Amino acid sequence: MGEVVLEGRGIKKWYGKLQVLKGIDIKIEKGKTKVIIGPSGSGKSTLLRILGLLEPPTEGNVLFKGRDVYAEKLDLNKIRAKIGFVFQEPSLFRHLTALDNVKLGLRHVLKLSEKEARRKALETLRIVHLEEWKDHYPAQLSGGQQQRVGIARALAMDPEIILFDEPTASLDIELTWEVIDTMRELAERGITMLVVTHEISFAKEVADEIIFMDDGMILEEGPPEKVLMNPKSERAKVFLRRLLGV
Amino acid sequence: MDLDDFLFLLRGVPATLSISFLSFLIGFVIGFIIAIIKEQNIFGLKYVAEGYEKFLRGVPVLVIMLLFHFGFGGFIPIFKDPFTSATLALGLRSGAFQSQIFLGAINSVGRQQMMAALSVGLNRWQAFRHVILPQALIVALPGLGSEMALLIKDSSYSFILGVLDLTKHADILRRATRSFLFPYLAAAILYILITFPIANYLDKLGSKLKNKYGLR
Repeated sequence: MGEVVLEGRGIKKWYGKLQVLKGIDIKIEKGKTKVIIGPSGSGKSTLLRILGLLEPPTEGNVLFKGRDVYAEKLDLNKIRAKIGFVFQEPSLFRHLTALDNVKLGLRHVLKLSEKEARRKALETLRIVHLEEWKDHYPAQLSGGQQQRVGIARALAMDPEIILFDEPTASLDIELTWEVIDTMRELAERGITMLVVTHEISFAKEVADEIIFMDDGMILEEGPPEKVLMNPKSERAKVFLRRLLGV
Repeated sequence: MDLDDFLFLLRGVPATLSISFLSFLIGFVIGFIIAIIKEQNIFGLKYVAEGYEKFLRGVPVLVIMLLFHFGFGGFIPIFKDPFTSATLALGLRSGAFQSQIFLGAINSVGRQQMMAALSVGLNRWQAFRHVILPQALIVALPGLGSEMALLIKDSSYSFILGVLDLTKHADILRRATRSFLFPYLAAAILYILITFPIANYLDKLGSKLKNKYGLR
């Protein structure tokens, strides 16, 4: 087993009286791509936000490179900078161009010089094939382009891992592919990723491991062929049958 | 009313403009601070800020002016100056309204932007400074334009303290010319000529920038 980058232990989350997560254990190893699937409302996004340190768990521990983030009272901002996050909702900074979106963290978190930040931002925009769009504002970009700038924004920080929360869920079908392709390229570059998605083809081809979640619990986990083709739980069977349309 | 009378009237414009702009700036600073206190939920200060807003929004600005000038003027020297009293009264009240404009604008930017900023590793203050605030200021522009227009109009109360503003000049003209209609009518038109372009410009600029950046 390789180095574990991010780990959740016994994660539970309540919103008032509603329990959204019922004890999740999850580990993501360096260089691997893990995909989470499951019906809406199963707690996938909440889990991702907790692992991304964007909200604390009610119970349980989040470990970043073996260190317990909340128990050891580590500096959340510093670790967030090392955990990239790509959101479902449009999340680019609307008053900034594509280039400045990518640059912001480089300048103010990594404290790179203007010149260095620009170079790095351009280089990252090139990876997502949006270099020519650097001077466009988010409102002037398609949904797919916006998501790719969002990916570049996360990637530019040289994160240890990038978390994707249904990055294609709010996109038209033809825009979905450009985002999926970009993510595929990242996986090929050896970027560690945890991806919530309904794109089964991506899961099948790219994931090293798939997790099926429902009702705040992990019901299945394992290599794609096992989880997708041979699920044990009835709920996973029903979900996959609907999703695959078979 | 002839040209000389009209030129005389114009001599009141500088005072009207200075009171309005200065009180706008005072209100901008106060409103901004209150909005941040309320948004960041700074404990204790939040109640002070709310009390301030309630008081200054609940009292007529003329009463505040009279209180400052005649009330406080008796023992605080700076309030003896009518211009200062009028400007501070309008400025402090404007702060209680501009805070609402800023707070509404900050809230309209939305928590997704804050979450995205935090995810990059910015701390809360950096996220506010570099992500929330620039967008909020754009959203606030039309509201700030209306507030500026309101201040220009309400600065006319200062004539009661003896400030030589546009209204005071109209009043003097009325006494001198014994014309009851034209001095005030001319003043009214001048007020419109001053307020409309400012409010209109900020409104248009706000809409233009909102469209450009896709803000709501």
